[in-house]
Amino acid sequence: MTGDGERALAHRALGYLDGDQAQATVTSERSLLSRFARSAATQATAIDDTSVELLCVLDGHTGAASTNQLDDEGLAVAASRARAAAAAAARSGSGPYPGLPGPAETRPHEGFDPATAMLDPAEAGAALNAAFACAGAAGLEAFGIWTAGEVRTAIASSTGVTLADAVTDAHMKVIARDEHGRSGYAATTAVSVGAIDAAALTAAAAAKVSATPPGELPPGEYRVVLDHAAVGTLLEFLGWLAFNGLAHAEQRGALCGRLGERIAAPCVNLADSPRAPGTLPRSFDAEGVPKRPLPLIQDGIAHAVVHDIRSAAQALASSTGHALAPGGAPDGPAPTNLVLAGGGAATLEELCAPIERGLFVTRFWYVNTVEPRHALLTGMTRDGTFLIEDGVITRPLRDVRFTDSALRILAATEELTAGQRLVSDADLYGRRFANGVLCPALRADGFRVSGGSA
Amino acid sequence: MVASPPRGCEYVEARWVARTAEQLRVSGGHVEGIDCTSDEGVGIRVSVPGRGFAFAATREVTKAGLELALARAVAFARALPAAPPRAALPSIPPALGHWSSPCEIDPFERSLDERLELLLTAEALLRSDPRIVRGEAESLAQRTIAAFASSDGAAVVQERTECGGAIAAHAAADGELQRRSYPSAHGGSVALAGHEHLLALDLPGHAPRVAEEALALLSAPPCPAGRTTLVLGDEQLALQVHESIGHALELDRILLGEASYAGTSWVSPADIGSLRYGSELLAISADATLPGALGSFGWDDEGVSGRRTMLIADGVLRATLSDRQSAAAIGVPSGGTARADGYARQPIVRMTNVSIEPGDAGTLDDLLADVRDGVYMETNRSWSIDDRRLHFQFGTEIGREIRNGKLGRLLRNPTYAGVTPQFWGSLDAIASPPAWRLWGLLNCGKGEPGQSAHVSHGAAPARFRNVEVGVSA
Repeated sequence: MTGDGERALAHRALGYLDGDQAQATVTSERSLLSRFARSAATQATAIDDTSVELLCVLDGHTGAASTNQLDDEGLAVAASRARAAAAAAARSGSGPYPGLPGPAETRPHEGFDPATAMLDPAEAGAALNAAFACAGAAGLEAFGIWTAGEVRTAIASSTGVTLADAVTDAHMKVIARDEHGRSGYAATTAVSVGAIDAAALTAAAAAKVSATPPGELPPGEYRVVLDHAAVGTLLEFLGWLAFNGLAHAEQRGALCGRLGERIAAPCVNLADSPRAPGTLPRSFDAEGVPKRPLPLIQDGIAHAVVHDIRSAAQALASSTGHALAPGGAPDGPAPTNLVLAGGGAATLEELCAPIERGLFVTRFWYVNTVEPRHALLTGMTRDGTFLIEDGVITRPLRDVRFTDSALRILAATEELTAGQRLVSDADLYGRRFANGVLCPALRADGFRVSGGSA
Repeated sequence: MVASPPRGCEYVEARWVARTAEQLRVSGGHVEGIDCTSDEGVGIRVSVPGRGFAFAATREVTKAGLELALARAVAFARALPAAPPRAALPSIPPALGHWSSPCEIDPFERSLDERLELLLTAEALLRSDPRIVRGEAESLAQRTIAAFASSDGAAVVQERTECGGAIAAHAAADGELQRRSYPSAHGGSVALAGHEHLLALDLPGHAPRVAEEALALLSAPPCPAGRTTLVLGDEQLALQVHESIGHALELDRILLGEASYAGTSWVSPADIGSLRYGSELLAISADATLPGALGSFGWDDEGVSGRRTMLIADGVLRATLSDRQSAAAIGVPSGGTARADGYARQPIVRMTNVSIEPGDAGTLDDLLADVRDGVYMETNRSWSIDDRRLHFQFGTEIGREIRNGKLGRLLRNPTYAGVTPQFWGSLDAIASPPAWRLWGLLNCGKGEPGQSAHVSHGAAPARFRNVEVGVSA
């Protein structure tokens, strides 16, 4: 995992750039992804691609160009486009981009697994066979994906930054489904493909498929146990709505005027921890700023938002290493290694125990923002929604719609499991950038169900 | 390779795609970013008997690179579990020829300075008040050239140019945040057209109104809760069609092939020809031949010619969106809606331009005239629907009271919710053809690994009775 090839390409690309400052970023992806439905393989995708992003900085403006044509002509054309873009922007007057960072020390991580980087399609075949067999034994069909990838990144800049990183990721999710459409879900995301136990995953998903017909839950406020996947989705949205430093600086964030205040229950401790065990680690962000742990909520108190160079300049702060694109992404920075600390509950059953009548949610689906300033979300439950009565799960429920604030749910959080899981949707749009939220399951007093699916 | 498939492959297709795009963004009086992207490569898909389809993509557009990609696709297919027998793909006429989208003014021939000047002018007009905490103006120009060949004899080249833009104002005060966009949210209005489309939007001309409405929304009363008559503007109706009809009628979802991610559908194959989807006014087409629409093409990404299909007529389901595999599974010809996002993704069932046909109810004012109490909603802000495309909740940027046939006060944070067949069953008027417009969407997500499709929807303002509005926490 030396990254020498990517680093050399970054330096070669940098040679085509001029301007006040310049940065070349090389991203190389090799990946396999196999989809399955009705216990049969349906689509398989193998990707091998390398792209170069060139950033030119002129008079406080950035111009960016990317290409996957890596010969001299391709790089020269891209560099010319980046330069022309920055020059055109600069003709409108001085801009606010303060400039690229200088070299800084990055720390190694455990985010690369050589066996996973081998990308053996036979591992996909074995995983699918195991899932199909396990689902069949339970009288169910398996749906889902198996995927593994290797991504190498290198950055070279005119300010002296020379960095290289290599990461691997593997993910498998299984939705077990019966002939009535009742379904259960389980997933694993990890650095190593060896962490995937397809049979165990399928068994876990199958265990959530109840033979009992689902009941209906009327709209109202309920105590709730959110399984790991549901918690991860809420936190991912909160990452954008509350901790995006650009939105915060522009008075659009959910924590505007609330840093230093209590926003969550005292048991809530949230950080962005790029090297925490169980995450998908990274060494540096898209602007070459080293990744380091950043507490976001400590004992329920809002502590910080995250920045890239652009948002930091606006907030008179420093980059925290959360740029998502060279020069900063249009929507601003975001945490990509959220870790919610575990609590004291040993099991999900323990979380359910104090609930007289409430709801157990396996995962959410199609969550979207209703009011960003209040972190108000809406979405559906999916693949395992259950009624809790007298401290135990008693029967399945039809999926329900919630409309509630992610911050309010954290404020109403009573207890969390000690065990955390890495939650990821692995939807992998564009260039592969695997990330996830490491979190426990939690119990909250009051979860607002706004509609049912009768 | 496709002329003589390698041993062990019953089908091979190759797609070479070269894509170039320029995105310009302006905010706060500054050029916030100019991103120029280009990529080029080949995606190869094979079908191996007893194993099914597999796909490999490479940027190495050389004989050696393509052969390696082909070998990887075949190896991947052979490593997977044996596939159950599937219906043979019916033969299709070989796709041959060239197709180009209309483009009067090549956006890549217009200087960056000219395009930036337009955006800077529009964005400056948004920042009329210190409560406007962010103004945005953006534009997109994209050109895609694709060549497709298959062992079925297809050999086509297609060239597409997309262009458009948007402005938005974010206003904040006293803990309230409101956004107002023009001509739509989520990237604005983009069409299969040249720079002339961006110019026709007249972004500067609309900027003062957009800012005024964002500010007015800060102090507007919230949308009241209850059941009432709902009139939807055509942009929001386009997204309603997209989410609750377009996706629901993708045949791969109906056949459970997308249960892993996008979900399934409340519709079953047996419903085709008999299911009442909505009121008799409801007519929905899928039309890949609409000029200027993002979902138009000469041939889909399996070489099936672009066509117009009525999906719903007189409120009854008539057909679905399909590719060759899903159509073969239910014994019908492909609907010609297989599309892929660039060269590194394989074709899947997609929308083309799924549109609600205009009605005969006249203008928006005519729709309002028959409403004593109701709510008008315009410009999507939030969208969510369950994995069967049945239960939905939408929010829009702006609402207005309807009182005695006229628009009244502004309403902030308007939302509405419903169940697909009941909602479309409550449709009682659609505006006439002059009010029907195309709306482009750039962010239609589906597939694993994820693919973003560009689609358009035609819609005119429409009226629905007895709808739940004002859903809140």
